[in-house]
Amino acid sequence: MILIKNGLTYTMEGAPARMDILLEGGKIKKMGENLVAPEGCQIIDAEDKLVFPGFIDAHCHLGMWEDAIGFEGADGNETSDPITPELRAIDGINPMDRTFEESRNGGVTSCASGPGSANVIGGQFAAIKTSGYCIDDMIIKAPIAMKCAFGENPKRVYSEKKKSPSTRMAIAAELRNALARAKEYGEKLETSKDDPSKKPAFDMKMEAMLPVVRGEMPLKAHAHRADDILTSIRIAKEFGVKLTLEHCSEGHLIAEHIAGEGLSAVVGPSFGERSKFELKNLTFETPGVLAKAGVKVAIMTDHPVVPLHYLPMCAALSVKAGMEEEEALKAITINAAEILELQDRIGSIKEGKDADVVIWDKHPFELDSNVLTTIIDGKVVYSKN
Amino acid sequence: MVNILIQNGKIYTMKEAPFYGDIRIKKGRIKEIGVGLKAQKNEEIIDASGLLVYPGFIDAHTHLGVGEEGIGFEGNDVNERSSAITPQLCGYDAYNPNDSAVEESMRAGVTSVAIGPGSANVIGGLFSMIKLRASSVDEALIKVDVGMKCALGENPKRVGKESSRAPVTRMGTAAKLRESLYLTKEYMEKKKRYEDDSKNNESPSYNMQWEALIPVLEGTLPLKMHVHRADDILTALRITKEFGITPTLDHCSDGHLITEYIKESGAAAIVGPTLGFRTKMETRNKTFETPSILHEAGIPVAITTDHPVIPLRELRICAAYAARYGMGQENALKAITLYPAQIVGLDDRIGSLEKGKDADIVLWNGNPLDVFSETEVVIIDGEVMYNKSEA
Repeated sequence: MILIKNGLTYTMEGAPARMDILLEGGKIKKMGENLVAPEGCQIIDAEDKLVFPGFIDAHCHLGMWEDAIGFEGADGNETSDPITPELRAIDGINPMDRTFEESRNGGVTSCASGPGSANVIGGQFAAIKTSGYCIDDMIIKAPIAMKCAFGENPKRVYSEKKKSPSTRMAIAAELRNALARAKEYGEKLETSKDDPSKKPAFDMKMEAMLPVVRGEMPLKAHAHRADDILTSIRIAKEFGVKLTLEHCSEGHLIAEHIAGEGLSAVVGPSFGERSKFELKNLTFETPGVLAKAGVKVAIMTDHPVVPLHYLPMCAALSVKAGMEEEEALKAITINAAEILELQDRIGSIKEGKDADVVIWDKHPFELDSNVLTTIIDGKVVYSKN
Repeated sequence: MVNILIQNGKIYTMKEAPFYGDIRIKKGRIKEIGVGLKAQKNEEIIDASGLLVYPGFIDAHTHLGVGEEGIGFEGNDVNERSSAITPQLCGYDAYNPNDSAVEESMRAGVTSVAIGPGSANVIGGLFSMIKLRASSVDEALIKVDVGMKCALGENPKRVGKESSRAPVTRMGTAAKLRESLYLTKEYMEKKKRYEDDSKNNESPSYNMQWEALIPVLEGTLPLKMHVHRADDILTALRITKEFGITPTLDHCSDGHLITEYIKESGAAAIVGPTLGFRTKMETRNKTFETPSILHEAGIPVAITTDHPVIPLRELRICAAYAARYGMGQENALKAITLYPAQIVGLDDRIGSLEKGKDADIVLWNGNPLDVFSETEVVIIDGEVMYNKSEA
């Protein structure tokens, strides 16, 4: 049990206000002024300090490409097959990777981590907390989304192998084929319910795609260029499946269109080099432009592309490029939670939600700010002193 | 077969405190253990005065005779790299009893080992238990099915990458293993439907891979999982739990970091090869403290050489290090006798000196955990395989 006293609290549910927060049983139990500490309760004095919900990155590869290690710790891209929906991020994440600790010490308490973009369908993302050493205990929800990728990466990886896809056309066709086959597989399963001898031959790829074609789990679509973003939207609509736009680097060029479709975007990594053609228009202005157009925006590091503990810095640079400060905060808290459909548990400081709370000495968008205390599920996992 | 009476040795049964006594061997088994046993007609007497009597040592994870010594490709049959899923392979088909390591290890007091394929494949094939005697594997075999070898971590993905095929990631390795188990389940269901009603159902086409995995899903053959890193150990536990089976955790190099999870799973750990260089990233935390910490946590622990990684003859030296790093001599000796026997389900036959068990007995001129000690006599199935005084 922890009572955080007198912190200026950015709940993300309303304007910042000075308050006390009582954490119990891993949840936010009570918020208000002058809360009385129950017996045996640890008190953290947050006078003159700022209190934020733990930050969330809705798209990264934490623990999948490990720090300071080569092939042995690289488990993000199963480049043996362009269609691998059966892969599960949790089988490739190493919570003992040092960047987990750096992330929670930097105020990031949750993320969606998963496969890379080598494959047209890469596999299943997992939403996890950044504290723990057994991934099974850290899961918020897994699977949370099905990774798919458009544009340069899949066609580069497979053209090097002289395999399909080597064009954008083939990427689209491979994805359509997988979706159509999964639909067919699901229908066959349905019609053979009463007669097991008529069941279709077990297909693990198709089994993994069932929640997608049933509309229960979104496609998490890696797309940078405007045409690739629009291709992802086209295909998702054809099959009536859920979709979130990931990277969305040229989103600012088609912001109205994206807003009109009612889609959400997880934007980034905007920090760093324009290392490929499809990043030609990469800019920190994208999140602000999309948000102004009415798109729900989250900001990603795409860790390890940008290390995860720099998530608030990426949000701050988006503010510098024109995004409202509040929108940028939402983009690494409540919006990220809503895009992951986990807003009942994370993303704001609210009674009943997970006790993922971070105490800062200054506003996290200041470069010289520091995390003083990180609390995940009601447990102090980092304390500066 | 000659019957034998070992007299006046200091007997370490592995189940009770050592005592001075005698062991009567009849028809390959231990007939009697006691004090002051009298010689019977037609019994050969071995005077063990001044000697220490131990059960033969056991290593539950080796590639003895499969990866042969002093020979290259011609004698290396450990890894069938042509496919990532090869449950249909049997390690014993590649066992060469004439490998010089067999005789050498036997002379060093090792009498039973598990042999099988390496860790290049996600599913490598069958491990079997043999004795270090006989000129053919068929005679040497004591239990054909002690484990179905699987591998997680660096090895299968490295081999996959080199071979331009799956898996090249840990996710891919896990998926391959799951898929095989799912397909076996489906195969079993189809067989069952055909058995129940052959008129209305077709028998599935014979599939040698899934046939080999049926006992795994039936729970009679444990998955023998090559795992070093903590996340790989936990993936092994996750996948086996999904299918309601219990694995053995072989190598288990990071086991000391996650003891509570291993304990809860009920899985046994076969730890090693700890002696030597940390050759790979996934072995960076390996330490001789692991067996001690796992044992302390109540996890069944055996110590392995992973022969030929560490020569099998040095099994006792590995145990000695484990003893020194916290396990204590008694438990370390059990980790190369009783515990591996229990883990492979052969403790009714081997692993301790008890009435009715196989007469696999070794006479030592000193503590086997002392590097200067030597074997004087090695007996397997009641037969003197080695006698230093006659050598």
